[in-house]
Amino acid sequence: MKNFSRGRFKSGEEYSRALFFLSPFIFLFSISLFQVMNLTLFQGDKYQTIAESNRIYQKPINPVRGFIYDRKGTLLAENIVQRDLYVTPAYIEDSAKTILMLSNLLDMPYELLEENFSKGEKKVKKFDSFPLVKALNEEQIAKAKVNLDSISGIEVKATLKRYALHEETMAHVLGYVGDISSNEIRKDKQLAELQNTQIGKTGIEKEFDSILRGKPGIQTQERDVKGKLVRILDTQGAEDGKDIYLSIDQRLQDHLFKLFKNRRGALVALEPKTGLVRALISSPSFNPNILNSIVDTDEVESLFSNKESPIFNRAVSGQYPPASTLKPFVGLAAIENEVISWDKKIKDDGEFYVEGDPRPYRGWKENGHGRVDMRKAIVESSDVYFYTIAFDLTLAGIRPMLDSFGFGKKTGLSDFESNGLLPDKKWKLGYKGDFWFKGDTINLGIGQGYILATPLQLAMAYSGLANKGVIYQPQFIQPTDEKSFKPKKVAEIKLSDSKSWEKMEQALVDVISARNGTAHKVFDGNSAVIAGKTGTAQIKSILPGKEYDAIRENPALRDHALFVGYGPVEDPKLVVAVVIENGESGSEVAAPIVKSAINYYKGGLDAE
Amino acid sequence: MRNKPLSFSVDIRLNQRRNLLNFDYSIVLTVFLLGLFGLAMIYSASGSFALVLRQALYFFLGAILMITAAMSNFRKMEPIYLNAVWIGFFFLVLVLVLPNSATTNRWINLGFIGFQPSELMRFLLPISAAAYLTRNPQIKLSDWIIVLVATLIAFILVFLQPDFGTSAIVLLSGIMPIILSGLPWRFIIYSFLGGIGTLPFLWMSLMDYQKDRIYTFISPESDALGSGWNIAQSKIAIGSGQFFGKGYMEGSQSQLDFIPESHTDFIFAVIVEEFGFLGALVLFLLYAFLIHRLLYVAKSSNSKFAKLVSGTLSIILAAYITINISMVVGIFPIVGMPLPFISQGGTALVVNMITIGIILSLRRTT
Repeated sequence: MKNFSRGRFKSGEEYSRALFFLSPFIFLFSISLFQVMNLTLFQGDKYQTIAESNRIYQKPINPVRGFIYDRKGTLLAENIVQRDLYVTPAYIEDSAKTILMLSNLLDMPYELLEENFSKGEKKVKKFDSFPLVKALNEEQIAKAKVNLDSISGIEVKATLKRYALHEETMAHVLGYVGDISSNEIRKDKQLAELQNTQIGKTGIEKEFDSILRGKPGIQTQERDVKGKLVRILDTQGAEDGKDIYLSIDQRLQDHLFKLFKNRRGALVALEPKTGLVRALISSPSFNPNILNSIVDTDEVESLFSNKESPIFNRAVSGQYPPASTLKPFVGLAAIENEVISWDKKIKDDGEFYVEGDPRPYRGWKENGHGRVDMRKAIVESSDVYFYTIAFDLTLAGIRPMLDSFGFGKKTGLSDFESNGLLPDKKWKLGYKGDFWFKGDTINLGIGQGYILATPLQLAMAYSGLANKGVIYQPQFIQPTDEKSFKPKKVAEIKLSDSKSWEKMEQALVDVISARNGTAHKVFDGNSAVIAGKTGTAQIKSILPGKEYDAIRENPALRDHALFVGYGPVEDPKLVVAVVIENGESGSEVAAPIVKSAINYYKGGLDAE
Repeated sequence: MRNKPLSFSVDIRLNQRRNLLNFDYSIVLTVFLLGLFGLAMIYSASGSFALVLRQALYFFLGAILMITAAMSNFRKMEPIYLNAVWIGFFFLVLVLVLPNSATTNRWINLGFIGFQPSELMRFLLPISAAAYLTRNPQIKLSDWIIVLVATLIAFILVFLQPDFGTSAIVLLSGIMPIILSGLPWRFIIYSFLGGIGTLPFLWMSLMDYQKDRIYTFISPESDALGSGWNIAQSKIAIGSGQFFGKGYMEGSQSQLDFIPESHTDFIFAVIVEEFGFLGALVLFLLYAFLIHRLLYVAKSSNSKFAKLVSGTLSIILAAYITINISMVVGIFPIVGMPLPFISQGGTALVVNMITIGIILSLRRTT
């Protein structure tokens, strides 16, 4: 070693200095080794005893999930106690013997329990427990209470499970809850502390999960070697979730759900003046309790593999061609762009031709509607009239109007919404690899071709007609005071002549009330006056020489039936959009539901 | 070697012709052993295969970077080493500026990968410092001052995150090259005394949770359920391991999650619970051997740069090892430092492996 007191620095001293500064660490290292020796060898017995005797254990306390009510305070979702039988493999001495005893006690087949045991054992760490039997029945609970204390490693745990009261009726509004997946923890680190808690997966349960969920507490417990509780040392209570009141009207929802008779389709009913959603249906539906507390996995699997996709929320995620229900908006665009006037008549002989193209664009009625003006074109749903004005308008003339009514945009009601599709040239080039043709514009004129809308978007667009241009943000949450509630405007459409609103409304009223209206079938004198429009969405284009009757033999290719309307027109309380998949006729299957909804609700706020 | 200055230039040319793969395999083997053992222990402590897989990917990345660094010629790398510190500063400032969650700002998230800039700095700073100090044959006083200023800035940036443990390491990693390069002893003593003088100010700037940890260290039993929990549980786990341990995956304390952070900072407690005193002894020997071999480079090399770098990096590594272990066994306050090569944590593993790679290259080429 060098003499450090000398002022001059020599090469080689780096190493000795490094050693010098390493020495405190070497010292600490040696003490640590001695400490390990001390703990393991000299005090090992003592610590072994501590480790084996009472253990202090911190157990999370789960908060109680908030309840969900409808606008009048009818309970929609609550929690029920479910008792599950848990086993801790580490504390079980002879698994075969224990399973046999349980099988006798609970009156369950030995093979089933054995299979559950070996499956569950692989999933958890040795000292963790897992549920062997879920949802014990009353008799099993009674027997278990008497006998289980003597068996180590077995425990009945009570957990709160979500229970949806109206089952199928409310399934798509409420959604369902489930265990937290590792994927969800990765996205939201806070979820890691919520062990054994259920969180919302879809619907209201998911979108308002942070409100419903609450905050977990923690309990410090002393437990003995076998894991049995000795005493509670400290409890920090959980903060329970808050209740939520929905704008949904449970009785209206229930009434309308029955009208669907399990046919595939969807309905959205909201108040045009507030945007509050009063009913939202997707059919066929499912029982959310199957998913809220998964007891039978086969049942869950069949739910997800069902070809009718009952889990899928057609009302907000289903995308359909709006068909003729788009005509009022195309009509308004034509008036605004002065492509046509209210009174000008166009001859409809059932076919429309573009110059230089021999293919006819056919209307739905073989020989046409004769000479039609705007009102008649809406009332009788003349295709040729709208082919003509769409052709004159061009895509650039139609799109802005559709855009301002919200087509092709999410409304912000739900996280699970689809965008719909409001096509433009760029979209077609990008997705179809082709240019936009005049024929595409012509098809757009009658709501066919590429355009797609969700039932929610249709209801929103028609609320714009009901409010003479104003569209409010749709929402599921009931305001505490409906009368002073100030809804948020999302669009305010101005027409150069505000009388156009009344003219369009009159045409839509005549769709039902006029003898030649496409939905005159549902007319009756006692009903509220409804303004609405039928639609028949082709899902398969008819090839030349092939008739629809041939296609219709396959029920899955039959046209979708639509009806969107609002009423009573003197003071619109409800706007309703209904789609019945492969329902063929809007006036026959969709319009009656809309009418029933509006009549059921015509009293508005105080309707009983 | 220092007795034969005339053969200096000849030596270098000979060395450069040496095989690229001619490095100290005992070091590589030790690092691999520690790393693989670490993966097994992370699995035991966390029970999460996904976590192990992620750590394994970092280990693989670290191994590639280690071998690459070991095959590089440090003389050609010198300009890069000289400027590497700017990368560290860039990220340290970025991590403070970027909005971040919780009360500590230690992470940079690049989407596909996240890392801790402070971990990067404690490795880049000494390399740049050593390169700067040895760029001329003679070191001037101003060189030392510049390195000291850079070190203090880096220290403050990490301290602000706030990360007390790593900021101390960053300070050490910048000061060691200054000391090793021959700063006169009287300066060292003066600054040491000056450093003690600033301790009260340092204490005042600590966050509450950091102060709590120091109180806890002073009397852990006073609050066995609060902040003394960690140390008390860790001691029970270690002690109950006795001589042979309870066996892999059989440690009841670790498996029942009594030990907090059992797969990161407190993994040593899991090791002793499951492998006993015997396992701890083997681990101590592996670490001692590793530090010894790394330090040997500082002794045998004839390049001043190599001496400074390997000297500093081995001291830093030794600091991590001893501080982590002494913290877990309860003879040092809890400062939140991982156990090198074993604790779960990608940045630290990769940085440590590159550190080894660079020392290997210094050993090979000098």
